[in-house]
Amino acid sequence: MTSLRRRKWILTAKWTVYFLLLMVAATLQTVPGFLVLGSMRPIFILPLCLAVATYEGEFAGALFGALGGLLWDFTSGRVSGLLALGLLVICFFVSILVQLYLRGNATNFVLVNAAACFLVVGVDFLFYYLMPGYVERALRFWSVALPTVVFTAALSPLALYAVRAVSNRLTVEE
Amino acid sequence: MKDFFYTKKFKILLAVAVLLAGMMAWAGANNRLNSAPQEILGAVLMPFQKAARLMEGGVEGLLDKYVRIDSILEENERLAEENTRLREQLVDYDKMKIQLKALQGMANIMEENPEYAYAEAFVIGRDPLAQFGSFTIDKGTAQGVNKNDVVVSDRGYLVGRVQEAGINSSRVMTILQPGSYTACAISRTRDSGNLNGSSEYAPDGLCILENVSRDTLAVVGDEVITTGLGGEFPPDIRVGAISQLLPESSGKSAIAVVEPGADINNIKYVYIMTSK
Repeated sequence: MTSLRRRKWILTAKWTVYFLLLMVAATLQTVPGFLVLGSMRPIFILPLCLAVATYEGEFAGALFGALGGLLWDFTSGRVSGLLALGLLVICFFVSILVQLYLRGNATNFVLVNAAACFLVVGVDFLFYYLMPGYVERALRFWSVALPTVVFTAALSPLALYAVRAVSNRLTVEE
Repeated sequence: MKDFFYTKKFKILLAVAVLLAGMMAWAGANNRLNSAPQEILGAVLMPFQKAARLMEGGVEGLLDKYVRIDSILEENERLAEENTRLREQLVDYDKMKIQLKALQGMANIMEENPEYAYAEAFVIGRDPLAQFGSFTIDKGTAQGVNKNDVVVSDRGYLVGRVQEAGINSSRVMTILQPGSYTACAISRTRDSGNLNGSSEYAPDGLCILENVSRDTLAVVGDEVITTGLGGEFPPDIRVGAISQLLPESSGKSAIAVVEPGADINNIKYVYIMTSK
């Protein structure tokens, strides 16, 4: 049984570490030239938010997703709240999916990440490339959007392991 | 699980979702990208991005040193000391030559536009979802940078303009972005046109000069400069050189494909022309 004071300390420490991880993820995602393959590069914010949603439940996970989405809106130059709303919903449902139907292993996490990333990148492509009617949009989808999904999913276990380590170390005993 | 939808937590999530939708509507209605919470998040993120940029520079410096040590070991022992000194001098000379060339272009712009102040800024962010080479720089309203300020490269070539200025960081929309119209002219022939981004050419780092006279005498290699018409961009800022001349589909005018002088997709630092 953990005392109330210690419980508060553990929770504060855990969410501070998660926030710092979010900052690191956003930095890695935006550092010019880092892990760039041609014109694609991996997304780190989304896997981290999904990993937190997997370990912390639907409520905390969805709120963390909204925070991560707000940061992502800022770094990507998307209209305020667009990705935040998307990540809030995705993290909520991914958390429920993992609680009810999936085991929280790396393989499942990669697949869930690929699906979620495809959804986010696909919606972004719809709003920012397809609807404005840009030419060569199909080429962009095949050469940038889809490889980004694969690249992101392939590196997503890093986020899972980081969040798992934090969650295991900073656990409140009931 | 069904019970969750009747809990206080679900109502809070619903309220957050409504708040985010409201933020989106507000941003759309006010032609803004960022809101107050994002400004705060951006300010928190900035030190991390700056540190990452410094670390990137440190790694590059370490590699440079390693390469130099390697080359020194291969030299003849008797002449090593002298050679090293001479090589260092040569490297310094080359560096100075490059810097001088870069500064010359910038100095010309500064001379021609004394009514502007120039803020140096580093590129600290390029997101995977960023469109048409747009990026984030480490200067914001606190350093006098404002929306629509003109951004040029260290050699004085046009890069774009500030799309959104935060407290200590700003987002730059490049000339590769479709819809980023800039009044320009071909320097030699004085044919005017609208510089615009093109989704067709942007992946190759190129943009287009639209509405050029069909009878233009311009040729590949001619320089494109800004005219200052419309007042958004100062005149005579170099953009780049024509790499291709094509007839417009209607046949009434021509399109010049322009290769920007600045390497927009890889640029690391820029100058912002701010009002004094």
